[in-house]
Amino acid sequence: MPANIAPSLRSALERLRNGGAVNGLLLGWRRQVLINALPFEEFRADKLLRAVHDMRDHFGSGGDRLPHTFWFGFETCHALVIHRGECVLIILHTRAEEGDFLRRAGQTFLEDSQLLIDDLLNPTDHSEQESQETNLIGRLY
Amino acid sequence: MSAAKPVPLTLFNLKEGIIESSADQELVDAFAADFQGLRHYGTKIGEALDLGTPWTGMLQEDDLTVTYSYFGEGTGPNDPGAGALIGKKSLLFELLTKVTTQPN
Repeated sequence: MPANIAPSLRSALERLRNGGAVNGLLLGWRRQVLINALPFEEFRADKLLRAVHDMRDHFGSGGDRLPHTFWFGFETCHALVIHRGECVLIILHTRAEEGDFLRRAGQTFLEDSQLLIDDLLNPTDHSEQESQETNLIGRLY
Repeated sequence: MSAAKPVPLTLFNLKEGIIESSADQELVDAFAADFQGLRHYGTKIGEALDLGTPWTGMLQEDDLTVTYSYFGEGTGPNDPGAGALIGKKSLLFELLTKVTTQPN
């Protein structure tokens, strides 16, 4: 019997840690934290998410600009901010030279995880769904 | 910023709170606005995570990349640094290296 593989958003996100010297990750949808894998308290994650959304709103306020990537260097680490649609991924990493690789990995993650994110935002009761499918098949015979 | 012709790599110097460049005034003003915005929101991000003020910041659109960096003497408004603007989606590290290796 094949193993039941349940793809998880958190495990997909955690795989990004293998892309380099990554200190922490944050995935947000609109102004809501979806996954906080930062080495900081929840209130700091909320504050960070507010700041990156305000920043994008500021640069896009004229209507003709749509910045999708921001990158900042601090004394101890770098913060890479990648927007895609209503989702945002923030990667804290140590080595500047890994910025481009992590950006591509982050963009791919956001692109490939849309179904998982949608599932997280709109959870469906799988047992109920399976039962309905069984009933349908039953009626065919 | 969406110009008909892509903007070539343009470099700026940050010295004593003034932005110097051989580029035309419109481009200098555009860079100055983005530099202020990046600096402001970079500081907000730093505050959120208790990381301090950023020494570099970059923003990228499909057809534009803007960056600035301080030279290590500090990250205050009057500290020396440099910036760049290019009308394409450039590599982050390549552009950062270009800016940080500008003569002070």
